[in-house]
Amino acid sequence: MDQEQMMKAIVEEVMKAMGQTAVSSAAVPSPEDRNKVDAGSYPLGEKIPDRIYSRTGKRLSDMKLEDVINGNLTAADMRISPQTMEMQAQVAESVGRENLAGNLRRAAELISVPDDRLIEIYNALRPYRSSKQELLDIADELSKKYNCTVCSAFVRDAADVYEKRDRLRQD
Amino acid sequence: MKRSKRFEVLENRPIHQDGFVKPWPEVGLVAMESSLDPVPSIKVENGRVVEMDGKRREEFDMIDSFIADYAIKLDNAENVAAMDSTEIARKICDINVPRDEVLKITLSMTPAKINEVVCKMSVLEIMMGLTKMRARKTPSNQAHATNLRDNTVEIAADAAEASFRGFDEEETTVGIARYAPMNAIGVLVGAQTGRPGVLTQCSVEEATELAMGMRGFTTYAETVSVYGTEQVFMDGDDTPYSKAFLASCYASRGLKMRFTSGTGSEVQMGFAEGKSMLYLEARCIFITKGAGSQGIQNGSVSCCGVPAGVPSGVRAMAAENLIATLLDLECASSNDQSFTHSDLRRSARTLMQFVPGTDFICSGYSSVPNYDNMFAGSNWDAEDFDDWLVIQRDLKLDGGLRPVKEDDVIKIRNKAAKACQAVFRGLGLPAITDEEVEAATYAHGSKDIPERNVNEDLKAIEEMMAGDTSGIDIIKALYDGGFPDVAEAVFNMQKQKVAGDYLHTAAILDKNFHVISAVNEPNDYHGPQTGYQMTEERLNEINDIPWAVNPEDY
Repeated sequence: MDQEQMMKAIVEEVMKAMGQTAVSSAAVPSPEDRNKVDAGSYPLGEKIPDRIYSRTGKRLSDMKLEDVINGNLTAADMRISPQTMEMQAQVAESVGRENLAGNLRRAAELISVPDDRLIEIYNALRPYRSSKQELLDIADELSKKYNCTVCSAFVRDAADVYEKRDRLRQD
Repeated sequence: MKRSKRFEVLENRPIHQDGFVKPWPEVGLVAMESSLDPVPSIKVENGRVVEMDGKRREEFDMIDSFIADYAIKLDNAENVAAMDSTEIARKICDINVPRDEVLKITLSMTPAKINEVVCKMSVLEIMMGLTKMRARKTPSNQAHATNLRDNTVEIAADAAEASFRGFDEEETTVGIARYAPMNAIGVLVGAQTGRPGVLTQCSVEEATELAMGMRGFTTYAETVSVYGTEQVFMDGDDTPYSKAFLASCYASRGLKMRFTSGTGSEVQMGFAEGKSMLYLEARCIFITKGAGSQGIQNGSVSCCGVPAGVPSGVRAMAAENLIATLLDLECASSNDQSFTHSDLRRSARTLMQFVPGTDFICSGYSSVPNYDNMFAGSNWDAEDFDDWLVIQRDLKLDGGLRPVKEDDVIKIRNKAAKACQAVFRGLGLPAITDEEVEAATYAHGSKDIPERNVNEDLKAIEEMMAGDTSGIDIIKALYDGGFPDVAEAVFNMQKQKVAGDYLHTAAILDKNFHVISAVNEPNDYHGPQTGYQMTEERLNEINDIPWAVNPEDY
């Protein structure tokens, strides 16, 4: 979003907070656009820390060392959220790095996959580890259980290539 | 034959202990410019590559498929393929052609095309290209902190000294694999003590490395290796697809990551398919791009001796660094392997990156003695610190290091050793004695440190890893142990994983945890007095080596 739009969005937020209704016009960005970021907001953790939340919903600007010491912040809180990851993907896109943005969007999906299962899936994708059906089952699991649609398609693509190149598990 | 005394002298020079071999292109024992490399081509139909570098899609191997499907900007690809390679090479080193203009061409190339283009360039032109195409404006440097005995307190002290000397990233690894978590903790705590904001990693087997990152023992990863032929990839126990998935795994936990590759790995592992080392490396870099990795460590890396044995081998290493930058990737440019007995030769090899500046000139520079370097010895060691400083001063170049005073280094090493002692206490690991702290404070290498009980260490590590010990526990241990500033630094590193700003290309952190990357500080070099220029403060720092004599004192 350009700076003018961003300013408008900020004004609108302030007006809302004051209990007033912002003047609506065609130029006011849609909720989707309003959340969009680009390189101008980067580093996000420095420029907009109040808009960055951990996976557990803790706001970055509120995270303090004392909270770690008194037990209010745990390891689970030190995790990026899918929303923040999407913002980082938008930043990458805004500077022409589509491949990196693609990786970050796959990553955003994988946030919900537990650590141990994620490592297992990585290992299953290594050569000669899985049958085609096992890879397709993983693809299903990714899409159905964790809503990872892009990653699921990626694993299906890999399954096809592994079959063609004879890199599936030899039973 | 009566021997010439001159020839006898020459034969006894260190360079004669190095190995040299005549090229053998048919098996891939050729650095670059092989007549057996594929001729560039690309055909796109309905948005899909149907031919690339002389192969039809039906003939693609796994690497071809991955590159064709993920790594090339297709809209401009056929036009770029038709461009004259010498013309493109000229644009790369021409200060009047902006970096972005070059990327519009190079991001639409095929591996054979980019290989052909860089083969048109001399090392000087390659260096010009690196200066302009490097992703981050400010060059930087990375250190190794390892030792023969996996002694963690020594790792912490060396890591602290390395941070203090100016390195922005530090890498450790292991002698005994099971020591990995302890070494990772040592380099993390030491680095944050020496200079807050330094990124740290522990290079081990892929799944283990990921697990340590998830726990917050490390803040980035680098040893995500890729290869240029399918067979060698299989021998490396991965595929382009598994590695791309792994890249996303790291990012999903907010961890910075780069891939690793290098000329010579394929021929060394016996499956080069008769292609030049540089062409195969180009394929690796395209895989890296296609996977969406922000960057790569390359420049032959651990295979350095292979290209170094054939003509243009050191030139090929610079060329592969250049290709990484031409694909808009962060480049950690190797200079991290002992490959020669000659001090002259190892300096010449490094000037290719030192002079133009790269995102990390060494990846890394051994901050320990050569005997303690567990990556089989680096091209630069702790013994060379002052040589490096003088080269910076001689050439007015920023190689990332700064002169330091002995008493400051002793203090920082001591603090790191004590902080590490506190962490061990807090995590319930076998105690680090005061004697060990004292030894690590003043040591040059692990030979100066008392031996630890290895079995006891390994048992404790196993127990720790069976539980859920994480970076949070390290923070608490530091705080409780009287190191609130180091606790704060480790905490701020954990927060980076929540924000994700350092996932971007060529990201490093300054001492205030401000992220500097190719997003907010992109390289804008376009000739003299542009791009990275040292501040007056930095120039004075580089010039002020403590052992220079004040003329007034004569």
